[in-house]
Amino acid sequence: MSKNQKKTVALCTILALSFGITPIANAMHIMEGYLPVGSCITWGALCIPFLAAGFFSIRNKLRENRRALTILAMSGAFIFVISSLKIPSVTGSCSHMTGTGLGAILFSPSAVSILGIIVLLFQAILLAHGGLTTLGANTFSMAIAGPFLSYAVYHLCLRLKVNRKVSIFLAAMLGDVFTYCVTSLQLAMAYPSESGGVAASAVKFLGVFAPTQLPLAVIEGLLTVIIIIGLETYAMPELRSIGFIKEKEVY
Amino acid sequence: MITIDMLCYYSRLRYMNAMEKFTYAMLTLLFCVVSRSLAMAVLVLAVNGILTVKKGGIPFSRYWHYLMIPLAFLILSTLAVIVNISRTPFDAFAIPVGSYHLTASYASIYKGIQMILTALASVSCLYFLSFNTPMTDILSVLKKLRCPDLLVELMLLIYRYIFLLLGISFSISLSQDARLGNRDLKTSLRSFGAMASVLLIRAMTRSGALFDAMEARCYDGRLQVLEEQYPPKRKEILWILFFEIFLLILTIWSKIK
Repeated sequence: MSKNQKKTVALCTILALSFGITPIANAMHIMEGYLPVGSCITWGALCIPFLAAGFFSIRNKLRENRRALTILAMSGAFIFVISSLKIPSVTGSCSHMTGTGLGAILFSPSAVSILGIIVLLFQAILLAHGGLTTLGANTFSMAIAGPFLSYAVYHLCLRLKVNRKVSIFLAAMLGDVFTYCVTSLQLAMAYPSESGGVAASAVKFLGVFAPTQLPLAVIEGLLTVIIIIGLETYAMPELRSIGFIKEKEVY
Repeated sequence: MITIDMLCYYSRLRYMNAMEKFTYAMLTLLFCVVSRSLAMAVLVLAVNGILTVKKGGIPFSRYWHYLMIPLAFLILSTLAVIVNISRTPFDAFAIPVGSYHLTASYASIYKGIQMILTALASVSCLYFLSFNTPMTDILSVLKKLRCPDLLVELMLLIYRYIFLLLGISFSISLSQDARLGNRDLKTSLRSFGAMASVLLIRAMTRSGALFDAMEARCYDGRLQVLEEQYPPKRKEILWILFFEIFLLILTIWSKIK
């Protein structure tokens, strides 16, 4: 190779590496200022009934048992920390769990909606993931759609007598995939394509994010199973105190 | 541990009235998103950069690094907006793939640039708030805006616990690293799972202990904390008012045009 060719190759390598190392900081948070005002308001309004339900369920729980306050706060902090830690990933990029699937299985989806919006607000302010104007859209996809689906899948699987670990895996993974689909749809509805409208645009967004999000969903599923196995081995009293395992159930 | 949280305690704008900072950031953000004009985005980006770096004393390298964080998302999704797959090529460029074209129009490229700049300008508004205002001050603003007490209390506790749990998780993963716990994908998955489950157990124990401590100090369902008061300054309010009115005029002008 001549000197120039070598230089070109080196430059290309540096460029490729710099793209590889760019932290894919939880790519499914829609960033600040990316959605037009209309859709910010629409998605925010869609969240309100879920948030109200969550708020009242938390308040009623606190009336019964005040101790639940610190437990809820700890759970919120737990979801935040889990979603801010780097997880092992296949592609080498830096990725994070959503943690809300785990939350929905352990606690309840309506409580997770309130904890989720708080966690998303903290993520926006402290970690610069997501944003304030897109808080509504992000809450809908990550703290409402994903957790509710996870919860439904988990209980459906239990009803159908599927193996517990498989059902936990499916719940967490499908919750993650659903979050990613909803986010793509939100982006597509805000920016319909010039040829083919919302549907074509949705397909494009799904395609662009698929390489990072699908492996991530599988890893999130695996991790959730491992975490729950760990908890069932060491933390039966704690699991009872948050209501994940009822008194009479014996495993 | 959380860099933004650490930096905002060093900021020289920290002792400015929190309500002023909050109002400024929110209004500017709103105008940015509503108008979506290039001129406005560049202006807001510059003003917020000067405020945060010059006035606030945040190192420029840090600020730049944080502005670049959302870039991966920005590039990927803007590409998805700009590039189309269609049978008919558009005017900017067209790469034929079989009977289809990977193509884009000048209008959509302009729109893409507009989106990127608007997003960066809005991020700079968010950063102005988070680099210069400690979380407890933001919470006191929320309280003044009549956010339900229960939520504010929950947020205060969560904010406190985050650092506690991050500390525990840091020491656990350090010792896992020391014992080759992240050797390959399989071991690192197992280590992460073990760490997360121990984290939840520790969190529950701590929360019990904390509640007992609160109860022993006559907790009756409300957390009462004293706040430091930094009264608003007239000069700052006038400047903010002046700037926001200017932005409002710019927004209206860009909508009429």
